[in-house]
Amino acid sequence: MSAIYTLITGASSGIGRSIAIELSSSKNLIIHGRNLAKLEETKKMCLNSNRHLIWLHDLENIEEIASSLQIFLKESHIFVEVFIHCAGIAVAIPMKSSNLTISMKMMNINFFSATEIISTLLKKKINFCNLINIIFISSIWSNYGSIAHAVYSASKSALDGLMRSLAVELAPLIRVNSILPGAINTPMAEQCLADPEINAKFKQDYPLGLGKAEDIANAVVFLMSEKSRWLTGQQIIVDGGRTINMSLK
Amino acid sequence: MDTFLKNLAEILEIDEIKTIDRFQDFPEWDSLAVLSVIAMIDAEYQISIHSSDIKGIVNPEELFKLICSKKSK
Repeated sequence: MSAIYTLITGASSGIGRSIAIELSSSKNLIIHGRNLAKLEETKKMCLNSNRHLIWLHDLENIEEIASSLQIFLKESHIFVEVFIHCAGIAVAIPMKSSNLTISMKMMNINFFSATEIISTLLKKKINFCNLINIIFISSIWSNYGSIAHAVYSASKSALDGLMRSLAVELAPLIRVNSILPGAINTPMAEQCLADPEINAKFKQDYPLGLGKAEDIANAVVFLMSEKSRWLTGQQIIVDGGRTINMSLK
Repeated sequence: MDTFLKNLAEILEIDEIKTIDRFQDFPEWDSLAVLSVIAMIDAEYQISIHSSDIKGIVNPEELFKLICSKKSK
């Protein structure tokens, strides 16, 4: 069996799970998350289930990410070729009611975990220069504003800032890009979509309707393919036309 | 209930709030306060409620009943 793997963080549900399923026929996967039962579910839904591995780690535990990943790779005798950062949380809270605990949790899981993982994967002693592709699952809120999502937006903006500089720093061997999804029908968005008012507004705002997790997985497949070989440092917006919709009603 | 009232008072930036005080009577009660209340309920009681759920709610007592009814489901 090949020792070359694709690492997907946040693969226990939603977009991460969909990406895992989509890639499972052609890649060896490291399916990451913090809930073993859900990760086992994802693994079962994948093709070639036996060849995929589970890395269990809570990314909120930021200081132990590097050592946990290093030990996991060493014990499994594998290397990472593609890193897809899908893990993320969104806490809707107005700035006035926010606090450092909530902000740090979002920044750690959405942003700092990516820097810790990439820093680990770039070390020759650990990953032997196998990394060639980094894909961040960002958000359209990286570039735009939204009430009660200031820190979440900032965490995604930080991710995209990191993406651009890394694309320059790591070229020509490693390509780095972000995908910016709009509203996707996932467990994370379920709470929002259950509100009839928000649901109706979403339907009005999205010219192509709400997206599916598979729509994002398809963009990942493109960014991993040779067809995107000259593409780096870019935000790929996949949002059903949400951000170009200037309709007055 | 005491902690619940204390959290509401903090969001509304007042010293205290009673169970039958009307939310509408507080100048800080606006759409952002509603979002803060939703976040507080999610954090304290692990319950998801929506802005539309709070629309007909008049006072803390009614809001607490809503939480209890959601919690028992």
